[in-house]
Amino acid sequence: MDKIKTYLKRFGAIMAQPVIATILGLLVGAVFIIASDENPIEIYQTMFSRSFLSPYYLSQTLTRATPIIICGIATAAAWRAGYINIGVEGQMITGSFAATLAAIYIPLPGPLLLIVSILLGMLAGSIYASIVSVLNMKFGSSIVICTLMLNYVANYIASYLVSYPFMDPYGDGISLVTQTIPESVQFVKLSTTNNLSIGIIIAAIVVIAFYFMERKTVFGYESKMTGFNPNFAKYGGVFERKVMLKTLALSGAIAALAGICEIYGSKYRYTDNMFTSASFAWTGLMAALISNLHPIGIFFTSIFLSGLQVGGQAIQRTSSIPIQMATVIQSSITLFVSAKLGVQFFSKWRKQKKQEPAKPQESKGGAETV
Amino acid sequence: MFLELKNITKTFGKTVANDNISFGLNKGEILALIGENGAGKSTISKILYGLNKPDSGEIFLDGKKLKIHSVLDAIDHGIGMVQQHFMLFESYTVAENIVYGKEPKKNGFFDRKRAAEIVRELGDEYGLHIDPDLKVEDCSVGMRQRIEILKVLYQNADIIIFDEPTAVLVPQEIEELLKTIKDLAKRGKSIIIITHKLQEVMDVADRTVVLRQGKFVGERLISETDIKELSYLMVGRGIPPREVEKKEPGKLVLDVEDLRYKHEGVSILNGLSINVHEGEIVGIAGVSGNGQTELIQCLTGLLKPDSGKVELCGEDISGKSVREIRDLGCAHIPEDRYEFGCARKADLEETSIMGYEHLPEFSSKGLLNEKHNQEFALNLLDKYSVKYDHMGEPAGALSGGNIQKLIVAREIEHNSKFLIAAEPTRGVDIGAQEFIHDRLMDKRNRGDGVLLISSELSEVMSLSDRIYVIYDGQIRGEFTRAEADTNKVGFLMMGGQNGQD
Amino acid sequence: MNMLAVILNSTIRSTTPILLAALGSAICSQVGVFNIALEGQILIGCFVSIVANYFTGNVYLAVLCGMLGGAAVASIVAILQVKYKAADMVIGTSVNLLTSGLTSVLLSTIFGVRGSFSSPELISLPKIKLPVISEIPVVSRLFEQLTFIDYLSYIIAILMFVYLYKTVSGFHTQSVGKNIEAADSLGIKTLRTQIIAVLVSGALCGLGGSVLSMGQVTLFTEDMSAGRGYMAMASASMGQAHPLFVIASSLFFGICQSAGVLLQNYVPSQLTQAIPYAATVIALSIFGWRAIRKKNA
Repeated sequence: MDKIKTYLKRFGAIMAQPVIATILGLLVGAVFIIASDENPIEIYQTMFSRSFLSPYYLSQTLTRATPIIICGIATAAAWRAGYINIGVEGQMITGSFAATLAAIYIPLPGPLLLIVSILLGMLAGSIYASIVSVLNMKFGSSIVICTLMLNYVANYIASYLVSYPFMDPYGDGISLVTQTIPESVQFVKLSTTNNLSIGIIIAAIVVIAFYFMERKTVFGYESKMTGFNPNFAKYGGVFERKVMLKTLALSGAIAALAGICEIYGSKYRYTDNMFTSASFAWTGLMAALISNLHPIGIFFTSIFLSGLQVGGQAIQRTSSIPIQMATVIQSSITLFVSAKLGVQFFSKWRKQKKQEPAKPQESKGGAETV
Repeated sequence: MFLELKNITKTFGKTVANDNISFGLNKGEILALIGENGAGKSTISKILYGLNKPDSGEIFLDGKKLKIHSVLDAIDHGIGMVQQHFMLFESYTVAENIVYGKEPKKNGFFDRKRAAEIVRELGDEYGLHIDPDLKVEDCSVGMRQRIEILKVLYQNADIIIFDEPTAVLVPQEIEELLKTIKDLAKRGKSIIIITHKLQEVMDVADRTVVLRQGKFVGERLISETDIKELSYLMVGRGIPPREVEKKEPGKLVLDVEDLRYKHEGVSILNGLSINVHEGEIVGIAGVSGNGQTELIQCLTGLLKPDSGKVELCGEDISGKSVREIRDLGCAHIPEDRYEFGCARKADLEETSIMGYEHLPEFSSKGLLNEKHNQEFALNLLDKYSVKYDHMGEPAGALSGGNIQKLIVAREIEHNSKFLIAAEPTRGVDIGAQEFIHDRLMDKRNRGDGVLLISSELSEVMSLSDRIYVIYDGQIRGEFTRAEADTNKVGFLMMGGQNGQD
Repeated sequence: MNMLAVILNSTIRSTTPILLAALGSAICSQVGVFNIALEGQILIGCFVSIVANYFTGNVYLAVLCGMLGGAAVASIVAILQVKYKAADMVIGTSVNLLTSGLTSVLLSTIFGVRGSFSSPELISLPKIKLPVISEIPVVSRLFEQLTFIDYLSYIIAILMFVYLYKTVSGFHTQSVGKNIEAADSLGIKTLRTQIIAVLVSGALCGLGGSVLSMGQVTLFTEDMSAGRGYMAMASASMGQAHPLFVIASSLFFGICQSAGVLLQNYVPSQLTQAIPYAATVIALSIFGWRAIRKKNA
């Protein structure tokens, strides 16, 4: 009984921060909604009813959440070890583009093609991420800047490829696209009435696998310690370079899987700028930051953020509020979480009420080395 | 009284660092503030220098009540301090460091030429010579201290506080410093020197104030007291001298010959040779920065030596990885517990299994054996009486002494043939210090080899069966326990050559 | 010859925003703050300048507003990261995302458009015609179409050098980045110094943003800063945060940008657009990355 109580207490303490931050983030959003001469309550009502409250919209939210969840995990995998990978977008593009090409052009029977193309895609994503770890090891180039720069490089090169060599001349006439992937590799739908595919189950499996890896494996332990204090890990015999190589390769492979799920599960072809415009990687990053890199947290936060975006699309159609309002709310939440402002304020207020000494604040984990 | 402190109280959380402390300082007097680690000496000096604010109490200067809210206030009132950890800018020159805060200007710009002149003049006046254009990063510890003293003098301080000024110096430098302090007092400066080394107190001070566990326990004129009384006041009991069990050294555990290491073109280890046998503690005495850190890192695989032989239990380990060396039987208590010894955010179990995690009992097929690991950690915490709240607590939440105990526990319980203990008791309280010393002794008595590296000469002298003196990346002398004496060792630590005493 | 002058001219013009932001990055790293929000500071500068330009019709006022906008975004960094010690990477990336979303939202609330905004009512920055030089045939090409901000950015770099390395106040400012504890103990208001440095970086990025949206073109498009904030970080680190060296390293990024534009006539634009980004990665690797930020253990 006591165990459950302390567990609940700890859970409450963990949840307090993101919940307060979410409320504050929605308030920031409300300010801008009011500034646009709209009623925030109505807008939020529409946003939530058109994202969570009907089966159709919920399935859309979950479909959109799928790549976000996986991107969040890809981010967490690198950040928790202290390697600030902000290039998930680039790895996602490279990996899924490679997988798409493989699925279109390699003549293999269905199930085998599915597996081979996914593996090739993940390999491409992890190689793309590994460029950065190799550069960092050889030349000490900043991981932050290199991963970000490679986002642009990947997107422009994919853009070139989809405009010239791999363009489908019979495309949809609106944007530049590749051919559609064969039906045999397209993900199975979970229901006939909507679009939701088994991608969301893959995402859940990724979350659970990551959770397990983080807590129960030697690699999880060693990479976590490297993130906390690389010198400590090195001193203990952890081979830091190996951890970096493995971590970034893993992160890149997961990122690729995110893109693959989006293409195999819902779009069936690569469209120019499809990942940059939907901003999956960055939303995943925010989900990871809001959840303090915790995988289960990432799962639910991603769904929430995805709901904001799906709801954002709905209000974009019906009001003067553009979809980017979702980004404003999301990044405000992230800022509030990271600054622990809400909690600090709350605990101060409680302290004043109770007049008891507070424990010194622990600094935030995971994100301090470059 | 020139300066008077009345009823100063200061608490940090639950600990009372200063409990209602009062004492005074006369003009031109040298007052020694003595006490064990954690007695509250540093706290009170920081209060005087404006780095800490007292909870209650008053300070009077020349009969006037002082309000010291910041270091600037203290400097304005003529109070200066030479801190234990030097507050210098490495990449700035000596002159830039000294004039900092009161820079000479020409046409509104910083006049660096004038600054150098000022420093030269000041050095001549007080007999503290130093090249003003040298970068601090190129200065020895003794020189850095001189820079700090000149800085305080440049700020026109009448009252100068020295916080553990001799902790980082070798005996000959200490002598020099004590002379300087006496000289300053003669020139009318009032001096507070904080220390726990009683011989120095007897040598230099006029009067002493003794603190124990934050409380004032007594005040003596030096002419009317002796070391025995002071040590009794300080500790509250006599300290029994350490009894050393006789032990014949066994087989060779560590054999290092002609070790060389260069960093960015600067040679740091210049053909260093040492060895350690079973059942012996071998101490390395030396001023820090003479290659100790690099030696440790070359032995443990954190650095690759350029050349030389390193054999552990008869096996060549130069070029092997940290893990391979650890597995061959080398445990390592690191110099800096927060840089290498732990991660502040890692919990106690995670801290405990570092270096073991790949061993069969701790994990199999890449999966951690949680039950075993938790028991293992509990056992360490228990056996070394580490004070902690719960296992999930981050290491950073433990006090310095407790986290050090946990690190010592982890490394000693490796049951390796060889242990490197670098600064094993730096900055821990007296209780933890004795405890750790006892554990090192146990390790030796079990027949393992221990290499003890410490900048605290007294620690090396009291524990080691054999002592090497390191200077400029070389061994300058070797002594057995019986041969070693502070003066001889100190002379070599300063870079003196054997036979030219 | 003429061609070379045109290339150099385009290099100078594309250097300016990066140089200004890189100086902002340099001043932050001089005081030991790792500021990643440069990207957002530039973007807000672009946007606010256009807004002020549209409503006041005064291009100088617009520049000033751009700088204030940059400083306003920087103040988020100053408060959360510097004052409340939140993790730098988290704050930086969130601020960048926030400004990206915010500018899009405001674009629609203020102008009722999505994606990009331009209008004949917008006034672009006046191009300076140098008295004698504009008469000389080839050299005039070199200085063509430059705005006062293009010249100003070099003056700022020199002033920053003089301030940091020749004045007492600059000496103190630098000392904060070298040893914050010591500076603190010697009575320097370190927190204030760091905050001011961050705000200055915001103003510089804002200035860079205004030249981006009102210099060669006069319009605002979503995410028009396009990674320049990160390039500026790379530039500052290659120039070791020394204002004069930063000029040199920023010119390199300017060359890459103008090369990208020039090659568009020969190579598909999708590939030339990737050039500056790939070049950044390569340059960083060649120069090696010296820690722009000292690790706080």
